[in-house]
Amino acid sequence: MTTDEQLVVESLAGSTLAFAELVERYQERLLRYLLTRATNRADAEDAVQDTFISAYRYLYSFNPQWRFSTWLYRIAIRNAARQSGGEVADVEDIADEDAPGPLDACIAASERENVWLTAKRLLNQDAYAAMWLRYVEDMSIKEVARALDKTQSWTKVTLLRGRRSLSAELAEGASETARRASYGRI
Amino acid sequence: MDEFENRLKRDAEEIRVGISPELRTRIDASLRATEQIRPVPESPASGMNLWWASSLTGLAAAVIVIVLINWNRPTNELLPVEAVASVPDNINQNQGLYRPQLKTVVFTKPLEEELIRLQADIERARQNVKEDIDFTF
Repeated sequence: MTTDEQLVVESLAGSTLAFAELVERYQERLLRYLLTRATNRADAEDAVQDTFISAYRYLYSFNPQWRFSTWLYRIAIRNAARQSGGEVADVEDIADEDAPGPLDACIAASERENVWLTAKRLLNQDAYAAMWLRYVEDMSIKEVARALDKTQSWTKVTLLRGRRSLSAELAEGASETARRASYGRI
Repeated sequence: MDEFENRLKRDAEEIRVGISPELRTRIDASLRATEQIRPVPESPASGMNLWWASSLTGLAAAVIVIVLINWNRPTNELLPVEAVASVPDNINQNQGLYRPQLKTVVFTKPLEEELIRLQADIERARQNVKEDIDFTF
């Protein structure tokens, strides 16, 4: 199987098929992550599109010392931050504040809450992104720090706090479920 | 990988996003319309040209500064030749004739008074010594 970095080299040599393969590999992963940051699916899809355009345009600046996914997520996170920073909430958005977000629509109904919905509720965007890149994308601490443009110390501390916070919430949820079950409410 | 990390991964996979054909078409279309930016290779001559350009600019700036500084500078007025006092030809012959009238300058007066007092003291001491000698011998 051709590696991402080999596909980058082929793309730089002029192969559009090579870059199309990179899009195929990352489009769903990026959309899954960006849905957690965007207010609606259309914004998340726009962010995916912008990310691939930026990556294609500035492909020559990709440093092969890093993984392609690190570089791509770095672009995606910047695009998402710019998109969310520039938009102004209108009346319709405020009215729909309690409505389920785009992420909820993608998660099948289950007895227990998806841990990423819990994370979205508990953590700020940077901490959420650090957790996602570390535990879903299997990036190293160094790569997470690079993607988020933070120090490695910040990354370590944030991951530790995120884990503690989520673990405590999940443990509390589990004990609540057990208590309800013991009373025959479930 | 512990149970917590497994759950994070498993729950992430449970997020079913699905890429719509419209999105893929949009991405492909926008990529076709996008051109890759390629760095322009720097030619060896461009470094030399830059050096020459910066040197000439510096030189021109220096010339301009020198001209501006000297633009309104006052010139040294030269006296006409006739106005310059000439040395008399017989200056060596008349050298002994000219005796300038020197007056005591005010600030030397205290020194002169001190000198007079010292001379008086010396005279008094000389008289005392003379008297002593006379008594002794």
